[in-house]
Amino acid sequence: MAAVLDVSNLGINFGGLQALDDFNIQVRSREIVGLIGPNGAGKTTVFNLLTNVYHPSKGGISLTGRNTLGKATHEVTKYGIARTFQNIRLFKSLSVIDNVRIALHNSMTYSLLEACLRLPKYWRQEAAATKFSRELLGVFGMEAVADAPAGSLPYGAQRRLEIVRALATNPKVLLLDEPAAGMNPSETSELMGTIRGVRDKFEVAIILIEHDMSLVMGICERIIVLNYGLIIAQGEPDEIRNNPLVVEAYLGQQRGSSPCSR
Amino acid sequence: MSALFKSNPFRYSLNAVSVAGLYAVIMFLIETGVLNRYQALMLIPIGFNIILAVSLNLTAGFLGQLPLGHAGFMSVGGYAAALFSMSASLPTNVELPLALAVGWIVAAAFGLVIGLPALRLKGDYLAIITLGFGEIIRVIILNLKFTGGAYGLKGIGRQTTVTWVYICVVITLFIIGALIKSRHGRAIISIREDEIAAEASGIPTTYYKALAFTVSAGFAGVAGGLYAHYLSIMDPSSFGFMRSAEILVIVVLGGLGSIFGSVVSAIALTILPEALRGFSDYRMVIYSLLLVAVMIFKPSGLCGRYEFSLGDTIDGLCSRIRGALSGKGGGGDGGGS
Repeated sequence: MAAVLDVSNLGINFGGLQALDDFNIQVRSREIVGLIGPNGAGKTTVFNLLTNVYHPSKGGISLTGRNTLGKATHEVTKYGIARTFQNIRLFKSLSVIDNVRIALHNSMTYSLLEACLRLPKYWRQEAAATKFSRELLGVFGMEAVADAPAGSLPYGAQRRLEIVRALATNPKVLLLDEPAAGMNPSETSELMGTIRGVRDKFEVAIILIEHDMSLVMGICERIIVLNYGLIIAQGEPDEIRNNPLVVEAYLGQQRGSSPCSR
Repeated sequence: MSALFKSNPFRYSLNAVSVAGLYAVIMFLIETGVLNRYQALMLIPIGFNIILAVSLNLTAGFLGQLPLGHAGFMSVGGYAAALFSMSASLPTNVELPLALAVGWIVAAAFGLVIGLPALRLKGDYLAIITLGFGEIIRVIILNLKFTGGAYGLKGIGRQTTVTWVYICVVITLFIIGALIKSRHGRAIISIREDEIAAEASGIPTTYYKALAFTVSAGFAGVAGGLYAHYLSIMDPSSFGFMRSAEILVIVVLGGLGSIFGSVVSAIALTILPEALRGFSDYRMVIYSLLLVAVMIFKPSGLCGRYEFSLGDTIDGLCSRIRGALSGKGGGGDGGGS
């Protein structure tokens, strides 16, 4: 099966610092890929490059066969890549459902004139968007809080809402940046179920950055290990677990002790 | 019954009837002399202050940026409208709306031209840049020949009537209100909430910033046009920084992000200095103290982000009455769009 995301030879330097170099990855549809590495290894940089928040100094990114180089972030989102953030970035003072409806922006087509004059197309599409948002929230068991301000939700629900918002843009590839950060073990195991469910129901490929090894080893089919901006290993969870390079760079300190989420 | 109050045709007719009703009441009060000539004339500045405040709220409250050059756009629109009506000789009821449309377009064009470079900056930097642009506009107008320089424009037809102001206020409120509740409005609000997340959710943030800036400037231009045809003179010194600050005070006092708040606050702050005339010398002291008091006790402004909706209010009242009748009491459920 063809790769939905094909990244070749990606690299970026900030001034003299080579934050990422020779990064290659092919992600197939409905695959869950883990991206791990010590702090400062360049994991979030990869996400920022994939969503064109940063522009690479070399290499290329192709999303479902389309080159995303030089496009603005919102255009890349339209191509089918969506993300969540390490530190939650919800539209906090807006209602939960508005958070989702904002992400449906590009699935509606009525013009500014039709909006200001409130023509039938406006009402039709708004009603459809509201219905769709409620259904989507329903899938994640959040329809009851649809009208509450997003900032008032408990932490775990805020993380979930970020995923819902990302899914509302109808992505092919979903990037999750530390989805389990700050969660307790039971919340984390619930999150694992959610992530698998998202993959199956919405047929997206998922790349996730995570420090919680139980989650990474539990659901990722493939793991990529970064250190100092370079891929030092990739493969299935078992291979990674036993890779001496990885153990040395990263897992070595964590083995035996219970994996902490930060 | 509740479903009836939530249906769109019903709400539209309700709003149309109340808009017409309010106009009838105002005209009745003027005709019967309950409002004296002076009070009736106050309605006009109240009107264009509402337009200025609501349009500034689009950028300051909903987009979340802080522009300090609103008076600049007002003057551009005012001069454009005045120059148009002075050169054209059409019947009043055709000339004024055309002049205001010209004012809208010219001010919006300036908003776009200034907005594109200015919106690369944020927060304090944007405030300073727009402040600078506001002053540049004023100084240019001061030095151009066709704007009459420091002498200004004189002999603009006194065509602004309470009726025209009322129509313009209603149109402004309807368009900005409808804009805010559309996908475009949500995009603008999402930029205020979190620009990075908005961009990642597929919102073209630069486009929407420019859009908000342009629309906001356009309506400031309409207010300028009404102002010009009300005073029949335009002089650049009345569009300085203080004017921009005055409008910003109205918006902040009413509540950043509340159109209803801007309206209430524009009415209150236009009437207040006049109502306080009895205190003669202490007038501005009391005015300032009231502003300080509001900011201390209600920092989010008089209305916060509350929006008034006649349909929702009646809906809420009805369910409360029904609740009281059935003996349970309370429980006004006024949600909905």
